Amino acid sequence: MTAQDDQGPDAPAAGPRDPVFDGPPLSLEEELAAARAEPAPGPSIETVNESLADGVNRCPKCGSTDVRLRGSTGMLVCLFCRHEWQEARVEEELGLGEGIDDLRGTVIASGAEQIAADAEDVVTLTCDGCGADVVIDTAHAMNARCHWCRHTLNVNRRTPNGAVPDAVLPFRLTRDEAVEKIREFAGKRRLFAHPRFKKEFVPENVLGVYLPYLVVDARAEASYVGTGEVQTRRWTEKTGDNTTTYYAADVYRVDRSVAFTVDDLTMEGAADRASFDGSTTNNIVNTILPFDTKNAVRWNASYMVGFTSEKRDLDVAQLQPKLEDQLLSIGRSQVHGSLDRFDRGVRWEGEKVDVGGSRWVSMYLPVWIYSYFQENTKMLHYIAVNARTGETMGSVPVSQWRLFAAALTVGTFLEGVAGAILVGMS
Amino acid sequence: MLLAVQVAVMAGDNAPVWILAAGPAGAIGTYWAIYRYYRNTDKSHAYERDTLIEAQPVQGAEEKVDHISRTRDSDIDGDNSAKHRERVQRIR
Repeated sequence: MTAQDDQGPDAPAAGPRDPVFDGPPLSLEEELAAARAEPAPGPSIETVNESLADGVNRCPKCGSTDVRLRGSTGMLVCLFCRHEWQEARVEEELGLGEGIDDLRGTVIASGAEQIAADAEDVVTLTCDGCGADVVIDTAHAMNARCHWCRHTLNVNRRTPNGAVPDAVLPFRLTRDEAVEKIREFAGKRRLFAHPRFKKEFVPENVLGVYLPYLVVDARAEASYVGTGEVQTRRWTEKTGDNTTTYYAADVYRVDRSVAFTVDDLTMEGAADRASFDGSTTNNIVNTILPFDTKNAVRWNASYMVGFTSEKRDLDVAQLQPKLEDQLLSIGRSQVHGSLDRFDRGVRWEGEKVDVGGSRWVSMYLPVWIYSYFQENTKMLHYIAVNARTGETMGSVPVSQWRLFAAALTVGTFLEGVAGAILVGMS
Repeated sequence: MLLAVQVAVMAGDNAPVWILAAGPAGAIGTYWAIYRYYRNTDKSHAYERDTLIEAQPVQGAEEKVDHISRTRDSDIDGDNSAKHRERVQRIR
């Protein structure tokens, strides 16, 4: 049976196709406006926790608002009736970690959307318990006690200033465990530490902070071009008493490309800590990554009780170049294994990355931070502990004169040995 | 320094005088090793290794374009194959 038979006996005979009428032609202005228009926003993931409103978070069992995180279990606990519960993991709830192969365009979860330029950090909540107005500075905290009736008030709904993320990874390491980690880290670095740091070192001053991050899944293809060399011959030539080694080599033009997906690439969401030049110690907090972001749960401000927080102030658009940079680095590490035959090395000269799709989710991640401001250099030093894995990294201010003394001692000793060898040979 | 010059003069022509660089090199090396251990300025998150990555097989080609018949260099100039974070020219 042919296609024409399908149409039945009354179907019109197939002739030349008429053009489809799609409305009157656009004016020149309309055509130009369409050409200049911003691309349509990509699909978004809605992450607002509908079960919670701003204000009091009540224990589902007894109704008390005295709710906080119990670090040892990672669950919320009601301090009144001891009932424990937790929010759902976003990995399953929002389908993160799935479909990375099929990502198209830039998918932004609602908690990672663009920060409104005129958004205020200070939020005023009306206490559900007594009606008093309570002010919360969301740049540093997401809860406050009502000073009249002592209810805990929380910021649970989306704010346009970037303070409410899509998910939160609760603290697991307790404060005592963090203090011990920091003490151990600094204890190994006592000899050359600045005397004032040693005198003022009080690890009990450690603070639990939720820091803002953007967690990205991405699908990309990276390509590289460069020059590689393969050694073909090696020989030595003698001129007088000197021997010189010479090499011959084939030179190749090398092309490599690799397609890959990344799952939960984590990037700083606060501009103050996103730059890693030598004038700051931001690299310290960066080093304690990664976190087990698969265990992040839906946003509930009760996880923040007793901890401070730092709000996100970087948008996805500002972090796109950094994502491309990191994807290029990942691609380079992936193709590295294919360069074994170039025993004289490869010099990459050009690179390219096509990001097929990316998915951005904002998260608060837990860090124990001990900070120390060094007066003479105006440098803020940190010892930071990943409050999930326990990984610890820090910057300890050094005593320069002790360091110079040690260097001079070693240098003098080696010079003495060298002098003795020379005198012995003469 | 004076000691080094004196020793070099005493050592005569046949001795490897470059060995006197061991002192300054050792001093600088000691300084940087201790400084880095305390300040950790060189550390950062190794996302190339510590992120979940699923890669397809690497594609590529290579074409011989030249031959170096005699050089004293033991490796290629500007080898950046292991410096994954060193950016090169972007191809658009």
